[in-house]
Amino acid sequence: MTRRKFLKTAAAGVALGLVGRPSFSFVKEEYDLAVISGEPAAATRKALEAIGGISRFVKKGQRVVLKPNMSFARTPDLSATTHPLVVATVAQVCMEAGAQQVLVLDHTLHRAEICLERTGIRDACKSISGVHVLALQERTFFREVKVPKGKDLESVEVVKEILDGYILINIPVAKSHSATGVSLGMKGLMGLVWDRESFHSRFNINQAIADLGTVIKPQLTILDATRALVSGGPGGPGEVKKPNLIIAGTDPVAVDSYGVSIVPWYGQNFKGRQVEHLLAAYQKGLGKIDIDQLKVFREKA
Amino acid sequence: MRKIIQGLSLLLFSAFFVLATYKLPNWLPADIYLRLDPLLGMNAVFAAREIIGRALWSLVTLGATLTIGRFFCAYVCPMGASIDFLDFLFFRKKKRWGLKTGTSLRRLKYFLLVIFIVAALTGLSLAFLMDPMSLLTRFYTFFIYPLALTLINLLLDLLRPLFEALGWVAVSHQHYFQSVYYMTAITLLIFGGIIFLNRLVPRFWCRYLCPLGALLSLISPLGVFKRRVNEDCNECLKCQKTCPMGAISEDPRKTRLSECIQCRTCAHVCPQNAVTFPVSFSLGGEYSKVDFSRRGFMYSLAGGLTVGFLATQSPFSLLRSKHQIIRPPGAIPETEFLRTCIRCGECMKSCLTNTLQPLLWESGFSGLWTPKMEPRLAPCEQNCYVCGKVCPTQAIRSLSLEEKTHAKVGTAILRKEMCLVWAQNKICLICAEICPYHAIVFRPVEGYRRPVVIASKCNGCGYCEHRCPLNGESAIVVVPNGEIRLKEGSYIKEAKKLELEFRPDPGDDKFILEESGSKVEEKKGKSTLPTEKPQPKKPKGFL
Repeated sequence: MTRRKFLKTAAAGVALGLVGRPSFSFVKEEYDLAVISGEPAAATRKALEAIGGISRFVKKGQRVVLKPNMSFARTPDLSATTHPLVVATVAQVCMEAGAQQVLVLDHTLHRAEICLERTGIRDACKSISGVHVLALQERTFFREVKVPKGKDLESVEVVKEILDGYILINIPVAKSHSATGVSLGMKGLMGLVWDRESFHSRFNINQAIADLGTVIKPQLTILDATRALVSGGPGGPGEVKKPNLIIAGTDPVAVDSYGVSIVPWYGQNFKGRQVEHLLAAYQKGLGKIDIDQLKVFREKA
Repeated sequence: MRKIIQGLSLLLFSAFFVLATYKLPNWLPADIYLRLDPLLGMNAVFAAREIIGRALWSLVTLGATLTIGRFFCAYVCPMGASIDFLDFLFFRKKKRWGLKTGTSLRRLKYFLLVIFIVAALTGLSLAFLMDPMSLLTRFYTFFIYPLALTLINLLLDLLRPLFEALGWVAVSHQHYFQSVYYMTAITLLIFGGIIFLNRLVPRFWCRYLCPLGALLSLISPLGVFKRRVNEDCNECLKCQKTCPMGAISEDPRKTRLSECIQCRTCAHVCPQNAVTFPVSFSLGGEYSKVDFSRRGFMYSLAGGLTVGFLATQSPFSLLRSKHQIIRPPGAIPETEFLRTCIRCGECMKSCLTNTLQPLLWESGFSGLWTPKMEPRLAPCEQNCYVCGKVCPTQAIRSLSLEEKTHAKVGTAILRKEMCLVWAQNKICLICAEICPYHAIVFRPVEGYRRPVVIASKCNGCGYCEHRCPLNGESAIVVVPNGEIRLKEGSYIKEAKKLELEFRPDPGDDKFILEESGSKVEEKKGKSTLPTEKPQPKKPKGFL
């Protein structure tokens, strides 16, 4: 590239940025959560607007990691994985906000290619340029980080990008979990960990999830509760309910705690405090757990 | 010209080999080279004592050899091509140790052929040991394929900083799953030995050992193209020295027709241009006779019977002793399986998760190189059913996904004395979390929720054994008990009869995408949501 060409391109880029539509979205930072009911794509868009617009989190030229749950080779109707439309909508909105690139990634439990294929997430994101859907199953893509505030966890190997200044948006699905009761946002972050097994075997999994929350802090959590796998989780098959909700917020504990309250799990109603890993996260000061103290913005998309 | 065709054939063989993997389209016969092999076909048909549909393809090879001659070895055989290519690499400039062209070693291949056929008649599949197609596919599976993966991954690792700097996200996150196999070293040694024999004479294997070559040479003198030398010949013997098969006798005008593979090297090197390959219907006299002796024939007959007896009547076989080998889903009943399997390794190559591994001595000589599942290493992926698709003799039946799901390979059993939950009261529920069939449930025992296997829901996929977080042996293991092995008929019906219930992911209902990209619609019609049946005891609350 010649210098002249470089200058021209740079100038064009700056000009484009100046002319580009400034964001007039209403900032509703006073709300803790946005809870929007409706179809997956529309509700997701609405939730992002309600929480203050994506520009609150993603600035021009930034790189973004979206962490959906695509750990299982399951079709979306089984509700073991995040709805592909929710993921694709967030990715699209990030690109519209000027993100340099969006990586949609997860450390899958089933073989990578089958997960990418069955969950529908790769297909849904295929046509959005700048978006890459990756299932990481090799240690070389992970790096160790110390967990200074950890009670059980001293250090943990996580996906490199998380440590390299990418914006992290967590997009979990709402499901039951045989070991932790529910698997929402906090539990979903385990998908960024290399040695997931140790959470089960070496550590108290609930404490380890809370510890992990002290080092991996998503800027935004968007809980896909368009469907909820209320039994048989995390892999399914199990009973699928349809709350038709998208729950977005910056407080990972609050989002999860609200998520616990929306449907009965295993046929019973629960509160966030009854979920051990949420309670542990709350005690670590990671967020609010009592939903009656939250300011919630509710609307239909 | 010949080298180009030969090279293309090797490429085609490699291409089919690479394609034999999950997502293999139904119309593509990735195992075509193995199907075309008449020795493997005969071996399986004789040993199994029934006609095998896919083996009928080998009639094409037999028919072509009958009309044209033994062209297969020079133009089609990927083993021949590999030998020629590696010979060119290693031994081109070396002086060979040499052997007389008239050596009686030539008979060896016929003796081997007789041994293999007799063994097949006694019900022992043995031809795989030396059949070139089976041998080469095995070599590709156990050596070339893992090696290629290692090299590609190494390259990706080395170039990763560059890809990252360039911002090539997809390729900088690319890493191929490394398949590993037992018996890689043995397979390499055998293949290396075959290549090394070229140090003696070119194509030593093809001349003296290859049983498929022996079979084809029996009928090749009937082919229409025959070598003819006209009166320009000045007996320089150049053709005799360069013939890769040693098919030209002391008198350069005469040809051992059964040995000639029609490569036409002699015609190319002849300074007088005296060699042609015209169409001729005559049977070429004494030199068309097969080099064989009655005594040798009797010996090999006896040899075949002995090997057959030793291998089939042994306490090592799975049929007689403790049976702990998990066969792939769709494998026909053990006796028939051992007789039909040609040990090509194609199933193990295609296996998506790398769970299929070759047996060494676990089931005696008759089980050598047959596939088993190794769930501790990897599970059987519930959406994949490729192993049956690529099996050239259908020792593993080609099944639909639903049929394959019901082809139960075994049952998981929990070893409570090792299990973290049962023995140490830890909260480990990985086996239940990963089980695709909901065959592991929790029951409150002594104040803790403990995992229990429901045998009627377990199809033996091995995800639990694979994922168990213990070091070394798993606390939950798949045993062959309860496996369903059917020679014909529906696994679904059989499973129903046995009151088994597998509720897997209804995987084939894929999402349909619109052109615009991010819009997705669910396929309408049949609802794939599983209907929840009352379970014995629902877990109460969270712990």
